[in-house]
Amino acid sequence: MAVDLIDRIIKRGEERVDELEVYLFSGSSVTARLKKREIHYASGSEHHGLSLRVIHEGRIGISATSNPERWDACLDAAIASARLATPQDWAGLPGPGDLDPAPLNFDPEVTPDAETTRELLLRLLEGTGAYPVEITSGSAEVSRYTGILANSSGLCYQDQESSVSVGVETIMEQSTGYEFETSWKMDIDPREVGEKAAYLAYSSHGGREIGTGPYDVVLSPVALSQFLGGVYFPALSGKNVHAGRSRLAPSLSQQVMDRTLSLIDEPLHPRGLSSCRWDGEGTPTRRVNFVEKGILHEFAYDLKTAYRYGKESTGSAVRGGHGGSPTIGTHTLTFEGPRGGVLDDEVVHIHDVVGAHTANPLTGDFSVELSNAYFMRDGTVEFPIRKAMLSGNVFDMFRETGGLSPGERVMGSMVLPEIRLKNLAIIGN
Amino acid sequence: MTGVRYFDVRHVTGTVTHIDIDNTRVESAGTSFVDRAILRVLGPRGWGILAIDHYTRPGGRSFQELLEKAGRLASLTGQEVILADVPTGSLPVPHMKEDPGSVDIQEKQQLLAEVEKSARIEGIRSTRASYIERLEEVRFEDSSGNESHYTLSRSGYSILAVAGRGSDMQMGYQRKHTLQDFNLRHRQEDGRVAAGRAIALLDARAPRGGTMHAVLDPELAGVFAHEAVGHASEADLVQEGSSVLGGTIGERIGSPAVTIVDDPSLPEFGFEPLDAEGSRVSRTEIIREGVVQAFLHSRETLAAVGHGHAGNARAMPGEPPQVRMSNTYIENGDSSFEEMIRECRSGILLKGTRGGQVDPGRGVFQFNAEYGYHIEDGEVGAMVRDVSLSGEILQTLHSISLCARDRSMHQGYCGKGGQSVPVSDGAPHVLLMNAVVGGSGSD
Repeated sequence: MAVDLIDRIIKRGEERVDELEVYLFSGSSVTARLKKREIHYASGSEHHGLSLRVIHEGRIGISATSNPERWDACLDAAIASARLATPQDWAGLPGPGDLDPAPLNFDPEVTPDAETTRELLLRLLEGTGAYPVEITSGSAEVSRYTGILANSSGLCYQDQESSVSVGVETIMEQSTGYEFETSWKMDIDPREVGEKAAYLAYSSHGGREIGTGPYDVVLSPVALSQFLGGVYFPALSGKNVHAGRSRLAPSLSQQVMDRTLSLIDEPLHPRGLSSCRWDGEGTPTRRVNFVEKGILHEFAYDLKTAYRYGKESTGSAVRGGHGGSPTIGTHTLTFEGPRGGVLDDEVVHIHDVVGAHTANPLTGDFSVELSNAYFMRDGTVEFPIRKAMLSGNVFDMFRETGGLSPGERVMGSMVLPEIRLKNLAIIGN
Repeated sequence: MTGVRYFDVRHVTGTVTHIDIDNTRVESAGTSFVDRAILRVLGPRGWGILAIDHYTRPGGRSFQELLEKAGRLASLTGQEVILADVPTGSLPVPHMKEDPGSVDIQEKQQLLAEVEKSARIEGIRSTRASYIERLEEVRFEDSSGNESHYTLSRSGYSILAVAGRGSDMQMGYQRKHTLQDFNLRHRQEDGRVAAGRAIALLDARAPRGGTMHAVLDPELAGVFAHEAVGHASEADLVQEGSSVLGGTIGERIGSPAVTIVDDPSLPEFGFEPLDAEGSRVSRTEIIREGVVQAFLHSRETLAAVGHGHAGNARAMPGEPPQVRMSNTYIENGDSSFEEMIRECRSGILLKGTRGGQVDPGRGVFQFNAEYGYHIEDGEVGAMVRDVSLSGEILQTLHSISLCARDRSMHQGYCGKGGQSVPVSDGAPHVLLMNAVVGGSGSD
């Protein structure tokens, strides 16, 4: 049925434009949300979408609709869109490749039903009982997703994904905690998530002031992912590099991080939520070595940017642009480096920050408020920090590191450890 | 149907048109289509909700089946939900000044290109201009027989300029959105302003972190009102026990200079003719002269928490309503900008913003200024860049010593619970004593 529709769209499109790409997707999910300790609502959703891209004489047009039955209006809009675009060098959409069609992040055990979400929430609640805190809200979501990518070069790949996630907010007087976990398979432990969220609120209670000055800082994956996603990765996007909007553009083959650190996109990462064998426009994915042992090695490209600037696509297209059109992104961004010892001696451990999105995306300068931060000595919490700001520069702060933690956690399209960074400015009260 | 105490359906159809011009190239431009509905059923206790793409209102038995499906989800819930009886009905949608939908996209592209071109002055390495236009047709019905239908247009543009000198780079931007109008004509000045600021920032210093007096411009003070007070006044958070404003009605939490209002009936970017559950919208004084007066409400939170009125339930197409701000502002005072700078004597003048964030349960917020100037001996001095402030909700409002009489509103989008809704924030210039400023500079 879906394939018939795609065939029809491609056939009609080929009569009017040089090339056509069709992305047809549907998903279903069930969510249950806690207000305090009771389920407040349960919701079910069925999403459908069609995203079209046409290329005609080097002009690229896009359109999308949440009603695939209206594909003809969507095709007209995509062709009209192409007429507006500035033409560019274009060497064709990819043809079919010999890729294993087995999905990388789909678990048939993950079924979006209400009872599953209720059970997840019950276990989450159980976990929070480990510490004397109140629960303010929580949620559990189970979803499935199917996408078909096809184009006029004969490519047709079908993919399935599943996802299960839980999250809970806790409070003890004015001390708050939030924890969450997402996986593509039924391997998450809601009880542990609940316990961690309760610990955060409990252990941050009775915070003390910290003096202004430079400190060694450990960023948890939660805090780290925000700086990487909001500032560092955009500077690795080939589009920003060539458009004059990347501070890393002139630094290729130069040292940009500590000599022990590597930053890579590993599209076949077994825990990655967006792991894939082909990218959002059908190019086979590969490991992208952005930073290798401190040296800036390569930038990320999709087809459009690669053709324009005479580069090769790195298989970095994700469907995150207007109406689900392809744009440059990462599949599973990870750090490699020396493991262990991040909590040695004195360190400020920062679980989360408030306001990471206000960091300057161009220069990397930031100052953010700390959230669930602790002054630690030799791995033991000496005291929780009541209130302080952290200031620095995202591009400079990885130049001197005290290593990575042994464990990692899944953070959206990243799988990250904790990282120790040296001499960051903390502004106390 | 047994067990269904109430239902409502909010169906949004429409178009999203965008133009993206990057270093003079039309990177992407065109129109996409939206068609999403949300159906809510209130069961014996809580809600069952269905999100439906490309919805057509079915008749008779088919509609009953939808209600039953949502009802089965509702049967999972344990939270007792009561809906307050509130006034319903729609305000008239503001008169369309110039319909952006009637302007040919090629003309829009041309006008946007002119804005971008005006930013391409000497010293500028990169420019990017974007235009976005959302035309939404909203249909609402509920089980009490209320029905509404309206169309609303929101559109706007932004221009980003990147200045470079050697390895140093800085950016400046301007962003303006509008309701029921087309605002792209004669905007070249914004390109020049963005470019000029980017170039000026190359010579600006990083501020030194610490505690100091700060004068906030109307845009930044509006974000301050939004982060420091607005979110914590959302009664869903109060109900959950995750707002420090819970239990503070009638308490003084700020200086008598401070009155903070949210008003979805204002014809600004956060306007709604009725809210997402059909309630009539009107002005709420959250804080009057430093004393907490009311919270922002949906029908459910009004019944559970009290203090205020419904009308602040808002939603993205196809998403469940949440309690949200709309047009939030600090009322004018009787001071002036000049008086404020003199009164400040030594401190910092802060302007523009990339937004902020709050943890309302902890009562701590952070917000960011794009740039600023030192104030020395009551005079505005050297430029500084990237300044963030943090504060505590229950203390910081006491530190507002003066409000000027020059309020203006600024448009943006606000995120909560995975949903982003159009809002405006505003204020006059305000003087904030002993603000905690983040920065890594040494001078």
